[in-house]
Amino acid sequence: MRAAKALRISTVGLRGVVGTGITAAHVIDFAAAFGTFLESKKPVVIGRDPRASGVMIREGIASALLACGHDVIDLGIVSTPVLQHSIRRLDAAGGISIGASHNSAEWNALKFLGPDGVYLSTAEANELLDFYHLRKFGFVEWNAIGTLRTDDTALDAYLDELSQAFAFDRLRRFRVLVDCCNGTSSIILKRLNQRFGFDFVLINARTEGISFAHEPATQESTVELQLAPLVKPVNADAGFLFDIDSDRVAMATEQGCAVSEEMMLPILADHLLPKSSGKLVITNLSTTALLEEIAARHGGSVVRVPVGRQAAMDALATYRPEQIAVAGEGTGAVMMPRFRFVYDGIASMLGVLSMMDERGLKLSEIVGAYPPYSILKGQVPLVSQRIPALLTQLQKIHADGRANTVDGLRVDWAGRWFHVRVSQTEPIVRIICEQLGSPPLSLFQSLTELVRNFA
Amino acid sequence: MPREHPLKIGVSGIRGVVGEFLTPALARAFAQAFGTYVGSGRVIVGRDTRASGPMLQHAVQCGLLAAGCEVVDVGVLPTPTIQIYTAASHARGGLAITASHNPPEYNALKMFNSQGQFFNHYERGELLDLYHQSDFQQAVNGEIRGVTCDFDAPPKIHLERILRHIDLDKIRARKFRVALDGVNGAGSKLSVRFLAEVLGCDLHAISVDPAKPFPRIAEPRPDTLGDLSALVQRERCDIGFGQDPDGDRLAIAGDNGIVFDNDDVLALVVDSALARTPGDVVVNLSTSAVIDDVAARYGRSVYRTPVGEANVVETMQAVGAAIGGEGSNGGIIFPPVHLCRDSYTGIAFVLDSMAAADKTICELHARLPRYYRKMGQVAFEHGRLGPMMQALDSQFPEARKDRTDGLKIMLPDGWIHVRASNTEPLLRLGAEAKSDWRLEELYADVLKVLAS
Repeated sequence: MRAAKALRISTVGLRGVVGTGITAAHVIDFAAAFGTFLESKKPVVIGRDPRASGVMIREGIASALLACGHDVIDLGIVSTPVLQHSIRRLDAAGGISIGASHNSAEWNALKFLGPDGVYLSTAEANELLDFYHLRKFGFVEWNAIGTLRTDDTALDAYLDELSQAFAFDRLRRFRVLVDCCNGTSSIILKRLNQRFGFDFVLINARTEGISFAHEPATQESTVELQLAPLVKPVNADAGFLFDIDSDRVAMATEQGCAVSEEMMLPILADHLLPKSSGKLVITNLSTTALLEEIAARHGGSVVRVPVGRQAAMDALATYRPEQIAVAGEGTGAVMMPRFRFVYDGIASMLGVLSMMDERGLKLSEIVGAYPPYSILKGQVPLVSQRIPALLTQLQKIHADGRANTVDGLRVDWAGRWFHVRVSQTEPIVRIICEQLGSPPLSLFQSLTELVRNFA
Repeated sequence: MPREHPLKIGVSGIRGVVGEFLTPALARAFAQAFGTYVGSGRVIVGRDTRASGPMLQHAVQCGLLAAGCEVVDVGVLPTPTIQIYTAASHARGGLAITASHNPPEYNALKMFNSQGQFFNHYERGELLDLYHQSDFQQAVNGEIRGVTCDFDAPPKIHLERILRHIDLDKIRARKFRVALDGVNGAGSKLSVRFLAEVLGCDLHAISVDPAKPFPRIAEPRPDTLGDLSALVQRERCDIGFGQDPDGDRLAIAGDNGIVFDNDDVLALVVDSALARTPGDVVVNLSTSAVIDDVAARYGRSVYRTPVGEANVVETMQAVGAAIGGEGSNGGIIFPPVHLCRDSYTGIAFVLDSMAAADKTICELHARLPRYYRKMGQVAFEHGRLGPMMQALDSQFPEARKDRTDGLKIMLPDGWIHVRASNTEPLLRLGAEAKSDWRLEELYADVLKVLAS
């Protein structure tokens, strides 16, 4: 990605390469905008992932929030889900998570969280952006400035909550290999081992600030290379790989086979739908069609929304929590109503282990029992403005399928679909197609060629 | 109508009313300019006890880290302690978050070079240019260092340096009854420790809680130290010390409870220093002639500089001075401890003199020649500053004049100094004479000329 493009200020928050993209000036202004945006003067909870730039960003954020009259509770290095849980527990006005999850170490980002610990709605995020651009901040007088305190009880409080939701005494028997990718999951899992006697075997378990053992991407290819080959040698029942802030997770079977990142949501849907009163699965247009099949099995249905966190949060907000079984995307980010809609990789992993326990099946048996979908994902650099023409052309060519134009173009046939859209985070066109059985190679190639001609 | 300046960005750094004016963004930018200027390396950061201190410290640390500096947080400490530690720890520079004697709604950044001294005139200009150009060093993730804390070493080093120059046993043996007004400032803890534990005094202290707000006007002067004066009398103390919020300024109350003029405090310390060290004296143009008399006793010269600690320090370095300071604002600078204003050096030297001479502080004070001084200020309209000075100049055609900082008119029996303030849109005036009536006459003359 070009350096000039390595800064993105949007409803998703602030994200970029530190130094060349994100600077201290951005951080302070954005945090001041957030401190102004929050109407309640309750404390604001902050936490960060282990990137070296996180300390600089924390200092700027703390300063701006204090200047706006908020007390600040600093949780130190924590996962985003732990931070989100803490916001509710501490009855805070909101929170800021400092971390660039699945991006490499030179990146960082600010994610803004509301009083319930969930991401801001698009409408709220737009308001925050207006405050940022207006740069008229609600700084208080000297004698109303907030104070900062640290809180190191967040992790244990979070684990207490998890222990209520999962049968720890039964899950302890699993030997589980985890690639922490030098991120926040290592802190959580070490504590789970120590406090509850779990048998997590951790690799890349030291939190690192400057460079990670490998790209913290929860993709099948990363799992295949980094984690899968080690599962059998350590005699583990399963292997999991986390991104830096532990909201996403990917996995490998006890046989040492990497599982597609697309499978995390369907497996958890299969696990949760039968026990849940809610029968809806919320996901985006780029996620596997296996979901429809699984939902149908349990009398549920799938709601598909545009790609991106904001679209998911906005859609979720229109349902009552008890209507929903699970929500997520094909990247390994899954949230459950039980945890009040926080993307949580640790809870997802415990969900998969619970399923193995309850069904008495090995992970390879669970994964192998589903109809074999093959998914192909690609991307083409975006250089032109001819995207509408491209989409019209694609729709014309594939007029025999069922078209959905909510986010780019998705066309569905029985046992086959594709989705072409412009990324919100990078200047690229994404191409995804899936087919029951063998990979849809010729469709993928013709799509890629056409996109290249237009883009 | 006096013009109000709630924010001041200049060669002395940045200073203003916190909130609308002195914002986290400004503090961050100035710190990042500073970090860019001193280069990636260790920078010492400390602060006084103002409520806005922690907020601004986070902003400053953000800017320093963004410039690639490694931050050493020394917490709440007097400014001289921070300066000494900056030099002693071989850091690239230091930063004190303090508005010194200004009211609590103000805060400011004091910036120091690797020797723990204020930047010289040339360097201050360069730093200000860097700030205005906004072309800061922007460290990438791999270049960003962390924040470490060191709360114990700086006070230890500071006190050790002072103790080399006094007769500790003699002072301890006297068990002086000492009163202290710490203004709940950055020195509150250190002053108690220094006086009670190190110097073995019987200490009666007020306003030494750094968590509480300033209980009085922060500048330690005779008219702001009523509580100290009362404390000295009530507890029948041998001496009383009054500090400012960042521990660089010192005022002294005698055993009769009367608070000395700050120029006399400097004179007492100059006397004490010249007795133990060779070298000359440097003071600013507004400092009393009592200093010349004390220096003359030892056959030393007195150099005069424009007002401002940095100016005094620059000349002290150039002439290798034994001691220096600024009378009116209670600043005492003794180079063997450090080239900075330090109330602790003043405290130690005065107690040392009392122990050595076996005299009370009032007896020592009585040995100083008596001068009468008056300080004041007048507002000026834009464009009127020159004509006002010129009118004064022609009023005293015969007098010796010094024009290095405003206009100083030296008469056989006194002097007048008028200068534009660096921090406020005011003309500051000072006058001194050998008698009360002559002072009033001179002062009235000046006011009349300035008003015409």
